[in-house]
Amino acid sequence: MKDNAAFTSRVLPWLLLLPSFIILLVFIYYPAIQAWVLSLHRSNLFLGTRRFVGFDNFTFMFTGTLSAKYIQVVVQTFAYGALVVGLGLAISVVLATLASQDIRGARIYRLLLIWPFALSPAVAGTIFLFMFNPDIGSVNEVLDALFGIKPRWLDTPYLAFSLVVIASVWKNLGYNIVFYLAALQNVPKELNEAAAIDGAGPIQRFFRITFPMLSPMTFFLLFTNLTFAFFESFGLIDIVTKGGPVGPEPFDAAGLTTTMIYQVTLDGFGGSGNTGIAAALGNIILLFTAIITVLQFRYGSRRVQYGDN
Amino acid sequence: MKRILTLALVALLSMATAQTTIEFWYAFSDAPRSGWIDDRIAEFNEQLAEQGLDYEVTGERKGSYRETLQAAVLAARQGNPPHLVQLFEVGSQLAVDSGIFKPIGEVGGIDESAYIEPVINYYTIEGEVNSIPFNSSSPILYANMQLMEEAGLDPNALPGTFGEVLDACEAIDAAGLDANCITFPLHGWFFEQWMSEQNALLANNGNGRDARATEMLLNSEAGLRIGQFMADLAAGGYYSYTGTFEDWSGSEAIFGNQESVFFITSTADAGNITRAAADVGFDVKTGLLPIPDGVDRNGVVIGGASVWLTEGHSDEELEVARDFVLYMTNAENMVSWHKLTGYYPVVNASVDLLEEEGWFEAEPNFAVAFDQLLDTKANQASAGALLGIFGEVRTIVEEALQRIYNGADVEESMNQANEEANARLAEYNANF
Repeated sequence: MKDNAAFTSRVLPWLLLLPSFIILLVFIYYPAIQAWVLSLHRSNLFLGTRRFVGFDNFTFMFTGTLSAKYIQVVVQTFAYGALVVGLGLAISVVLATLASQDIRGARIYRLLLIWPFALSPAVAGTIFLFMFNPDIGSVNEVLDALFGIKPRWLDTPYLAFSLVVIASVWKNLGYNIVFYLAALQNVPKELNEAAAIDGAGPIQRFFRITFPMLSPMTFFLLFTNLTFAFFESFGLIDIVTKGGPVGPEPFDAAGLTTTMIYQVTLDGFGGSGNTGIAAALGNIILLFTAIITVLQFRYGSRRVQYGDN
Repeated sequence: MKRILTLALVALLSMATAQTTIEFWYAFSDAPRSGWIDDRIAEFNEQLAEQGLDYEVTGERKGSYRETLQAAVLAARQGNPPHLVQLFEVGSQLAVDSGIFKPIGEVGGIDESAYIEPVINYYTIEGEVNSIPFNSSSPILYANMQLMEEAGLDPNALPGTFGEVLDACEAIDAAGLDANCITFPLHGWFFEQWMSEQNALLANNGNGRDARATEMLLNSEAGLRIGQFMADLAAGGYYSYTGTFEDWSGSEAIFGNQESVFFITSTADAGNITRAAADVGFDVKTGLLPIPDGVDRNGVVIGGASVWLTEGHSDEELEVARDFVLYMTNAENMVSWHKLTGYYPVVNASVDLLEEEGWFEAEPNFAVAFDQLLDTKANQASAGALLGIFGEVRTIVEEALQRIYNGADVEESMNQANEEANARLAEYNANF
């Protein structure tokens, strides 16, 4: 019986990895390559046609008559992503920290905060759609009673955008809080106690001790929240605003809540089934995500402290 | 061994009595309409059994019209298409271009003259009838009679032009009613209808019927009049909607909750709306679709859907499928369909039956849409456009109307819409 854990056989490691490779190949790499190939063709879902056109799909989107629309969609997606990530993580870390304190009922608070973490975007969207219905929703009833105003959440462009952001942030709170609560367990209590003895206030303690120690988790959640904003926001947007009201100038070339992934479905499945353009836009989302991830790893990872200095 | 033999015998027997299934995919999700279809399917299956034919029709709800078309195309590409598909009228060009459907004219056995002319004309492309009309509709004006009286308007004199609507809205405003003046779903369909009423084409090449359309005409003078109406409604705060495009049920709820005096929507909802109004406690009167002032009423375009047969089945199967559709759209059935929903009875014989029993006198609300259809002049504008990109055009028009509603300049907005539609059309035509 050998003590060292390295594999002696050369083939065995590859055999053990094979199932994972097959799944990755069939469900991730092959479709991704097909999407790249498709984006270089003029392809239509209904006609079943497919003709190689090089980068025509990309130029169609970003130069020419429709460029205002697609550029607006890209800008909106970034704005939406930044807000969802920024607000989402900020609120989550505060709530998780508060719920980690040694107070009565902390366990119940933690449970209630974690509860909605597995909600699908569609369900979250439906909840918010009903709550924020301008005529019969509960939010407007309360606002009417308190302030006498009934904002038109669904047809005023900026309000609709805010609603979608709020719904997305709320949907991700459960998920973010679960991870932050776990990460907070790893923050040694002694550090906080020592700082308190030295006279640091709670806010100082939070920013100087807790938050830096949470940075690995923040780094991870930044990435997952960004993935949600770029790829998974479709369900929520489809339920709440369907791409949303067209904004005022200069945001009047597309619905204000149309993110890139929503535009992908509008192009590919909404009208005449132009799957070539949908694939092209989908690949652009992938490109942006890749760039952001690279930047994040390069600059962000320097700031991550893994707690053992 | 004995078990294997028994199993084999059972398998053989079940194969011998296996019926050929005729699949019918449709797009109604509400209980009254899908229930009606299911009843007809059951009746037809009984007939098949009596005649000793080994076929069975099954019906399946596939979602919205767009989803039904996509599902059918995808199924066909995988080699397993349903026999019958209910497709919306504006999907006709896509259906023809997709190549998966077999024109009913080729299958034969239908009497074109049995159908109401404007309806069968819509589905006749290049001289051949492509599909069997099933549910056809047009938009009409619904009015809450009680609210009209409260506003000091005569409930028997419904506004017939944009100007009259705006006047009525002023009166409603002045009377200080809680309700808004008018609601209708923000849907490109109404734009298409208003273009037809003005005898205006939506696209060139005879609305895409003489040859494939290459240019859109959304920003013609007729289109600008429609945009201006939207601007006027917005300026006075007379229009209400839920904020989402194509929200039929949203606007219906607004009217049903008495939050709007007038409602423009399909005649296909006449049954539902009148019943719902009675439950809530108000009376509904219907009138012709209001049109721009100073325009000769040209008539409406057929809306709704038809039933298409698909390629890839034996002639015998297609004939049984065709017979089912003919049964579903026969005179008596179309009478009951019309009474249940408000969709036109598409067969001339049904119209005769309804007139004999005095239906149109007894139910004037249903008669309005009908008169509007029969008075439609037969020309290229009212024949409706054939466009592969109709789905996108509708969204583009809806966005333009929303921009106008939010205060944008009418001409700029419609020009922008037309340019966008032209770009999409060029992209689609590049496929051929």
